[in-house]
Amino acid sequence: MASQRRKTKGENLALRYAILGAWALFCLMPVVWFLSIGLRPRTEIITPTPIYWPSFSLDAWHMIWEDWPMGKYLRNSVLAIIGSVVIDLVLAIPAAYSLSRFQYRGREDIGFYILSTRMMAPAIVAVPIFFLFRTLGLLDTIWALMLIYAAINLSFVTWIIRSYMLDIPKELEDAAKTDGAGEIRILWEIIIPAILPGIITASVIAMIFAINEFLFTLLIASTPEAYTMSVALANFTGGSDGVIYNAIALVAFLAFLPIFLVVVAIQKHLSRGLTMGAVKG
Amino acid sequence: MARIELKNIQKSWGAIHGVRDVNLDIADEEFVVFLGPSGCGKTTTMRMISGLEEPSEGEIIMNGEVMNDIDARDRDVAMVFQGYALYPNMTIYENIRFPLRMRGIPKGDQDGMIRRAAELVELSDYLDRKPGALSGGQRQRAALARAIVRQPHVFLMDEPLSNLDAKLRQHMRVQIKHIQRELKITTVYVTHDQIEAMTLADRIVIMEKGAIQQIGTPDEIYNDPANTFVAGFIGAPPMNLIPGQLQGGVFTAPGVQVAGLTQDYAGAVTLGVRPEDCHVTSGSAHLTGSVYGVEPTGDMTFLTLKAGEKLIEVKADRDYRAELNAAENVAFDSARVYLFDTKSGERLR
Ligand SMILES: Nc1ncnc2c1ncn2[C@@H]1O[C@H](COP(=O)(O)OP(=O)(O)OP(=O)(O)O)[C@@H](O)[C@H]1O
Ligand SMILES: [Mg+2]
Repeated sequence: MASQRRKTKGENLALRYAILGAWALFCLMPVVWFLSIGLRPRTEIITPTPIYWPSFSLDAWHMIWEDWPMGKYLRNSVLAIIGSVVIDLVLAIPAAYSLSRFQYRGREDIGFYILSTRMMAPAIVAVPIFFLFRTLGLLDTIWALMLIYAAINLSFVTWIIRSYMLDIPKELEDAAKTDGAGEIRILWEIIIPAILPGIITASVIAMIFAINEFLFTLLIASTPEAYTMSVALANFTGGSDGVIYNAIALVAFLAFLPIFLVVVAIQKHLSRGLTMGAVKG
Repeated sequence: MARIELKNIQKSWGAIHGVRDVNLDIADEEFVVFLGPSGCGKTTTMRMISGLEEPSEGEIIMNGEVMNDIDARDRDVAMVFQGYALYPNMTIYENIRFPLRMRGIPKGDQDGMIRRAAELVELSDYLDRKPGALSGGQRQRAALARAIVRQPHVFLMDEPLSNLDAKLRQHMRVQIKHIQRELKITTVYVTHDQIEAMTLADRIVIMEKGAIQQIGTPDEIYNDPANTFVAGFIGAPPMNLIPGQLQGGVFTAPGVQVAGLTQDYAGAVTLGVRPEDCHVTSGSAHLTGSVYGVEPTGDMTFLTLKAGEKLIEVKADRDYRAELNAAENVAFDSARVYLFDTKSGERLR
């Protein structure tokens, strides 16, 4: 009896690894494929017969760093994204606190309105936004990108943080109040630490959206001064050299890498559970 | 340090009435215990005293000052929450320290105060842990430590010992009473546990369905219940309540006859008598029933008799034994027989 149970357990485990392994392979395939295209010579990309073991080449690597200011693009991307996430958090945390805690008329409607800004097709506001930033004199700056990314992401960052805040037992805040804490203290010392996983989750998703943003970036960034990784990709598609696939693949991989590293670094926070033990089971 | 008056306090949420018309005067340094069934409004009343909940009607007065519009933060109460409400991201040490920091206690004094509070609740070895790594009873003691670490005007404790084992509970009970006496802090304490209520309270407040049923010393509550609710709620097992008729000073119910009662009243009456005031007898009896159950507990024996359709609890001698369904006679201690109006439940005096 017992040995039989152990056996099924072992089989289960093997099955689990098989399924997870297959899924990992499926997810990683495009990444591996991109890397392999990025690190092969241009002549081995489009061929009549597939090449399974291409020769290794750093042609594209040298090209993106030497012929283009890729370092600057990468820096632009990173600064614009980090800035936008900071702006989002500074605005979203108090907004979410208000939406989740205080009673006032139209609270639900405001919440929904905030979310609904996300439902609009971006192209509709592209032209007004262009004129807006031109008037502000921010065209072709990463400040504009920061603001745009922040605006795009603000709604769902607020929404995610709000949902985490709703999960915090009200008794926690009551305890802090009777202990003598004011609203700001409660937010800073009790609420924010308790919803840290939510804040991190929202930030990562915002980063992913931001690094992939293309339309507005192209609109704002008219010179390499404010180009980001996503717009830089477009550099390799036109011109006299034709479509430079290995450079595209390599840049795409580089754009993917920072977010990937961030996610790996903080993955233990990406799950819930920090509020465990706060109140009775 | 604080006298608390509740004047015509009501709390309702739409059609739900949590508390209806509570009037209570709590003296300075008094220890008051709220006792009542689940959902009777104990926590709600307490939250109104703390300022976390605003009364729908009525006034809360502390030291002569109306407190209705004063924030919880500025009332200087320390509360133990029914659900503990420990801060999950802080260690137990930080949890206990939080009120000290918020109240501006000098840094140099804090450590000593925290360690003393932790010691009182026997949690000194757990100060570095986060609440998530504690058992239910340990969390509850941490919550208690956080409340007693400083000297507020008022202690509010919502079932602070409910999750402890019997031994620890008794120990904590003594500690709480000692701290309260020593610091002379007005205390409101909620419990389901009658022993806790009887041993701790200067006065007990019995609540039911959002209303106060009786306020009195433990003695008064036990020996002089105001109505059938209080009589049937207090005592383990509680008072036997036997519905019957009173006519010319004689009470009759199936299997029960008690003479020599008040002549002033006639009609449907409920007779109350505590299990320890019922004595098995071979002489003249007030009640005759058949043995329904015998439960020896060591220091005495619970005897359950069936008289008519009614089950009567009797505390018999430790070596009392009887066959099932045997006939048994019981005499009441006639000085300790209570009469209630069956319809209203009010005591007839
Ligand atoms: N926020 C609220 N909204 C609506 N009804 C509420 C609210 N809080 C409490 N109540 C109701 O008020 C009544 C009293 O609740 P309260 O928490 O004071 O009971 P309690 O005596 O503390 O019970 P327990 O012993 O189970 O803790 C209950 O019927 C409850 O459902
Ligand atoms: Mg309660």
